Amino acid sequence: MGQYRWESDLAKAPVIETKDLTIRFGGNVAVNTVNLQFEEYSLKSIIGPNGAGKTTLFNLISGQYKPTSGQVIFDGQDITGLDPATRTKLGIGRSFQLTNIFSTLSVLENVRLALQSKADVGMVFWRHWRSYFKLEDQAYELLKQVLLEDRWADEANTLTHGEKRKLEIAILLGLDPKVLLLDEPTAGMSIEEVPAILKIIQNIKAARKRTILLVEHKFDMIMNVSDSIAVLKDGRLICDDVPEAVSCNPEVMEAYLGGGMKYG
Amino acid sequence: MTTEMTPVQRERFQAQQAFFKRPSFLIQVALVIGLILVPLVPSFRVMDMMAKIMIFSIVVASYDLILGYTGLLSFAHAMFFGIGAYSMALLCYHLGSPQWHHLILATIVALAMSVVLALILAFFSLRTKAIFFAMLSLALADFFHILGRSWRNLTLGEDGVTFSLPGILNVQGQGFSLFGLNISPRTMTYYLVLVVSVALFIFLVRFVGSPVGRVLQAIRDNEQRSTALGFKTFPHQIYSIVFGSSISSMGGILFALWLRYVDPESVLGVFSMVDYLLMVIIGGLGTMYGSIIGAAFFITVQTWLPDLLRGIAANFPDYEIIQRMADRWMAYFGVMFVVVILVFPKGIVGTVQKIIRRRRMASFK
Ligand SMILES: Nc1ncnc2c1ncn2[C@@H]1O[C@H](COP(=O)(O)OP(=O)(O)OP(=O)(O)O)[C@@H](O)[C@H]1O
Ligand SMILES: [Mg+2]
Repeated sequence: MGQYRWESDLAKAPVIETKDLTIRFGGNVAVNTVNLQFEEYSLKSIIGPNGAGKTTLFNLISGQYKPTSGQVIFDGQDITGLDPATRTKLGIGRSFQLTNIFSTLSVLENVRLALQSKADVGMVFWRHWRSYFKLEDQAYELLKQVLLEDRWADEANTLTHGEKRKLEIAILLGLDPKVLLLDEPTAGMSIEEVPAILKIIQNIKAARKRTILLVEHKFDMIMNVSDSIAVLKDGRLICDDVPEAVSCNPEVMEAYLGGGMKYG
Repeated sequence: MTTEMTPVQRERFQAQQAFFKRPSFLIQVALVIGLILVPLVPSFRVMDMMAKIMIFSIVVASYDLILGYTGLLSFAHAMFFGIGAYSMALLCYHLGSPQWHHLILATIVALAMSVVLALILAFFSLRTKAIFFAMLSLALADFFHILGRSWRNLTLGEDGVTFSLPGILNVQGQGFSLFGLNISPRTMTYYLVLVVSVALFIFLVRFVGSPVGRVLQAIRDNEQRSTALGFKTFPHQIYSIVFGSSISSMGGILFALWLRYVDPESVLGVFSMVDYLLMVIIGGLGTMYGSIIGAAFFITVQTWLPDLLRGIAANFPDYEIIQRMADRWMAYFGVMFVVVILVFPKGIVGTVQKIIRRRRMASFK
């Protein structure tokens, strides 16, 4: 393992750890014996060519997929057997690469639901949802952060693709998990929309209260924000180091150029 | 507060302030007053129709909770209705002369059976695929239908059970006089149906308006997303099925009270599910209030359309084709149903609500 910028954090146990994590789809090993540690309050990017297994790795960490073998450890606890809802409650929240929102509900309601989950009132049936009015106001504030407040009253399926991506981020911010899994948060956004999202990510990182796992193709962005970068290729971890070391690693550059990775 | 209100706050502020002035609230008050005055109409047929509309409104509303809000297709809703109806009928019939505590006992038995059966249904089917829920509910419903027909010692089979009610609900009794008006036992039963239906309806509306109701809609919209938000699908679905089914059985209790007669075909028949589906779709899935419109439409047409057609036919005794056409009231109902759905694709209430909501929200941009 290379050296991290946050030397003082090295002593701490990682907040998330994968141990020989492997998943097989038929003959295709999408994630192959991956051992990764995610230091608390750091930002680790995961890069790799298309089909390298980045999204699949996220699905394994957040519980959408169960591994063929290996383990996922969260806060020292083996969570491999837990379902996605339980993992979210523990503090692992994610955004999806393929936009995944509540399309028949209003934009505000999409975010409000995340806040409701965080507030833990999802099983209350004797009070009116509007009596938790703080949740609505907080949801509106989050929409402001992602520059989506003008659309708050609209049904989510009327949003443009870029707006849906922003809503996806707002939902994750509403959930405010200990660990944020961001799967290509800016993909599909127009150039003008990217800086606001980048700023949000940088702010969360700067506060050092949350751990961020970021999948992105925009290389300069990754070089800028990451504490460390893990590189996947064909399901295998080929490198995990600080940005400078990764960018001059010949194997990575070979995967990068040879593997047809997109440039942001 | 000196800071300017956000559009969200303005919208909420207006919604809360105007609650008692809102047309929907006034319509509901007018509706309840209208229902209270129904017994003044000197026609038993009208009162009978209104009582049935009330009963089926809550049955269909509870079905809307399961189908419209939760997205689960249950074929056992009529079975729960039948369980309520039979609990009432059998307890009053078998326990000797009717007593008030039989009514309470019947309610407890019906609710207990509904909760247990709903839990069994959910635990055995929901963990797997949604289609198993539909299939198991159908099998269970069919089983109870057969049970109702063939366990003759208990249910009297196809003949059905005729029973009488205690005290002022007993139609053999005299009733009493209030402010110079004679309140018959029938009228008393009508008011009992009114009070219970309104209470259950309010409960259902509150339930879907609670945080749980919101989560149910989220799960129906996108189950994967809602689990990724930390909402567990299974406990929420259990909530919905248990409450929905129990309320259906309460509807069955009211139905039995009103008719003082139950038989397997009318309260346990799986084909009643088609009626429920028609009613909930006419009104609008996932709207709650739609069930009132759906039930009113369906039962009114069912009550008057055959008469209307017969009346028309009587005027044309020489035209055989008209005579034949007049016999097929269900066919005309089918045509009306199709027309309603073409005009109101989300059901009557669903479509109107959508238009109103869109207008209202546009003013808060
Ligand atoms: N549910 C599945 N069933 C079968 N194969 C799958 C499944 N999910 C992923 N895969 C396969 O796993 C491999 C890795 O896919 P994954 O989506 O993780 O790649 P990725 O690194 O996220 O790529 P991209 O940059 O395009 O998002 C691919 O070959 C894909 O076809
Ligand atoms: Mg991917």
